[in-house]
Amino acid sequence: MRLVVEALETGYGKAQVLFGVDLRVAEGERVALLGANGAGKTTLLRTLSGLLRPWRGRVRLGEVDLRGLSPARRARLGLGHVPEGRQLFPLMSVEENLRLGAAFLAPGREKEGFERVYGLFPRLAERRRQLAGTLSGGEQQMLAIGRALMGFPRILLVDEPSLGLSPRLAEEVLLALRAVAEEGVGVLLVEQNVALSLEVAERAYVMEHGRIVLEGPSQALRQDPRVREAYLSL
Amino acid sequence: MRGILGLLLLFALLPFLPLGAWGAFLLDVGLFILLFTALALSWDLVARTGQLSLAHGAFFGLGAYGAGLMVPHLGTLPALLLGSLLAGAGALLLGSVTLRLHGLYFAIASLAFSEVLRTMALKLPFTGGPIGLPVPPPFGGGWPLASYYLAFAVLLLAVALSLWAERSSFRLAQAATRQSEAVARVLGVRVVRVKLLSLLLGSLVAGLAGGVYAMKALFLNPYEAFSLGRAVEALVIPIFGGLYSTLGPLLGGVVLVGLEQALRLWIQEGYLVVYGALLILAILFLPRGLLGLLGGRRG
Repeated sequence: MRLVVEALETGYGKAQVLFGVDLRVAEGERVALLGANGAGKTTLLRTLSGLLRPWRGRVRLGEVDLRGLSPARRARLGLGHVPEGRQLFPLMSVEENLRLGAAFLAPGREKEGFERVYGLFPRLAERRRQLAGTLSGGEQQMLAIGRALMGFPRILLVDEPSLGLSPRLAEEVLLALRAVAEEGVGVLLVEQNVALSLEVAERAYVMEHGRIVLEGPSQALRQDPRVREAYLSL
Repeated sequence: MRGILGLLLLFALLPFLPLGAWGAFLLDVGLFILLFTALALSWDLVARTGQLSLAHGAFFGLGAYGAGLMVPHLGTLPALLLGSLLAGAGALLLGSVTLRLHGLYFAIASLAFSEVLRTMALKLPFTGGPIGLPVPPPFGGGWPLASYYLAFAVLLLAVALSLWAERSSFRLAQAATRQSEAVARVLGVRVVRVKLLSLLLGSLVAGLAGGVYAMKALFLNPYEAFSLGRAVEALVIPIFGGLYSTLGPLLGGVVLVGLEQALRLWIQEGYLVVYGALLILAILFLPRGLLGLLGGRRG
């Protein structure tokens, strides 16, 4: 299954934010979407998950055109979302947060989901009864990813997972995403931390002012003088 | 859980306790506690999805008028059921139009809904208008304890629904909807459906409470049955007792409705001043309600 975005345009009110974005993510692939603050990355993710309506263009998940489908419907079709700033439910336990991610699954699948998430993040298993609000920043980010994985997404959208984390923790979280992709989930990683993202992702898109201005294998982008100058300050 | 069962047992046995001369009065107080606690629980059920309903007075009134109009023709239980279904139909109508609105906007819409219904009760040709509607007692008045035990049954239903919502995965869906609708949606929670179901269940209980109230009061008028005061009481009790729980509204109902009746007896005219002052103190010093005193957590 592939997530395919074609000529997507959208915005808020009269202010256009995205100007014809094309992008694709296949299952098992690690793709980074890079760009400065205000480039339109989060707007793109909100449009993909159905929180914002596109003005023009298409979003397809596999064979399904997502036009007009609710966020809940998209989640059920296999589109997972790790929102910016984690957005956990702080007064619920780790386990309850995870169960929420599987709210629409048959009860039998839930157990499978727990095994998978606890396998990926053993630390969450240790803390399953703890309130989510009492976890450390890194653990909270793992929980946010785990919660999205509970719904068995085929494509996972991850918004700024390194936000507010120390460099060491940020690296740990991004490496966890690599493990997620190895299980066959396509990961679209939206990040400001360009150096780290290019290490984790196989391919990347660079977004500026609502347009994709560069795309290619991470290896190539790392060598691209424009990327080196604008994002890697080399 | 033990607290809930204890309170319910107390209410079940209240008519048989040796209360002497106070018996009849306490039984009346008990009945109102049962009804308004059920109403409060039905409000809390909706509040758990983050929606502030000011329509619970209207659901109560719909149930009261529905049951009051039907009971001479159909008998007690079918009339109560119809009143409850009428409230449910009102909830579906209100909810399908307004539940896409958030917090404050939904509150205002629900207030308008309740005003419209009161006007209808005043103007429709078969409601008795401003003069009011006499209602016969339950089961033809043959059994003096009937209205009390009907009220008890309504509270049992409210507690059962609340416990179900608290213990099933529906609780997670409700809490997620309340805390962050956008996140709930991208996690696959159908938030409009969750809100609509909560409102429907709440309105059915509120309608039943209204129906039993009509058969106890024996007389309805639109100002009383659709009063905004009742909608406010429905939300004050859970806030006072502890929101988003079963025990909170239950405790709050027993203490507040009991207190209100007691104050009315002791102080008479100015009792609402004292009642209001006590509420202010509770809100200042018990931000999590009576449950906060017991150290429960909410989430």
